[in-house]
Amino acid sequence: MTSKIINMAERLKDNEDRLLESMFASDSIADDGFSAMIEKKVRRRLWLRRMILPVATLIGALVSYKPIAGLVTAVASLTSMLPQELLSAPQELVPQLPMIVLGGMLLATCLVGLRALED
Amino acid sequence: MTSIADHELVARAASSQDAAAFGELVRRHQSHVRNFLRKLSGDITMADDLAQDCFMHAWDKLHTFSGRGSFIGWLLKVAYTTFLQSKRKSKRYAEILEEVGHDAEAKSRTHAVQADEVTDLDKFLAVLSEEERAVMVMSYACGLSHREISEATAMPVGTVKSVIFRGKEKIRTSFDIKDHQHG
Repeated sequence: MTSKIINMAERLKDNEDRLLESMFASDSIADDGFSAMIEKKVRRRLWLRRMILPVATLIGALVSYKPIAGLVTAVASLTSMLPQELLSAPQELVPQLPMIVLGGMLLATCLVGLRALED
Repeated sequence: MTSIADHELVARAASSQDAAAFGELVRRHQSHVRNFLRKLSGDITMADDLAQDCFMHAWDKLHTFSGRGSFIGWLLKVAYTTFLQSKRKSKRYAEILEEVGHDAEAKSRTHAVQADEVTDLDKFLAVLSEEERAVMVMSYACGLSHREISEATAMPVGTVKSVIFRGKEKIRTSFDIKDHQHG
């Protein structure tokens, strides 16, 4: 069926079209490492994209380390000013709270690690 | 990987960021894209630079390839857009150079065609407008159908046909092709 259509299209072409086709025709250009260079560029771009998030996180952590440490100290000194009953209230309501927080953090770390491995 | 169809390679490259699959696509189509850009720009070095840009754009936009038309049609669309963008940029650069008084450099930048290697085809292409040149090259050098050219250039099929007709008319009147047609 396809060849029939092609034949029909070929018959519809006039001499002028064939002449133009022959004039526009050119030898195929040798690859000469062109595709390898593009592939290399693509790989480099992929690698950069993968590195951006961890590197940005690391830089962010380094930059924010001092202010966060100061914030934690300030919050710690604030909690000492709060009444003891208020601080122990959430733990009394949910006794497994520290375990839940720890589990959540582990889960998040695992998910991030799996994603990195998958990449 | 050479026996795999283009569409499958595109799917593989886009979904799993497979650089090898994309590399195979580049290997298959680099000649067409570079030929198209060489004919369009008339400058081999510039065309090869544009071809690199084109393939990198294609990699970034691979997910936008719907798979309805041929991959080479889509690739030539990216190549044509890259060419137009670069032309706009160099035009703006030439304008700035002119504004600051570097007329000679500005003129040399706007005339990219190398005078030392003028072929018959270059003479034909010279009489065509940029749009006609792109459409004629897509049609006669790359073998794209009118529909594919319409998708690549964002022109209606009817306009593509009339641009080809106009281009042929220009070549015919400029080079007296009638003689060849009948003999």
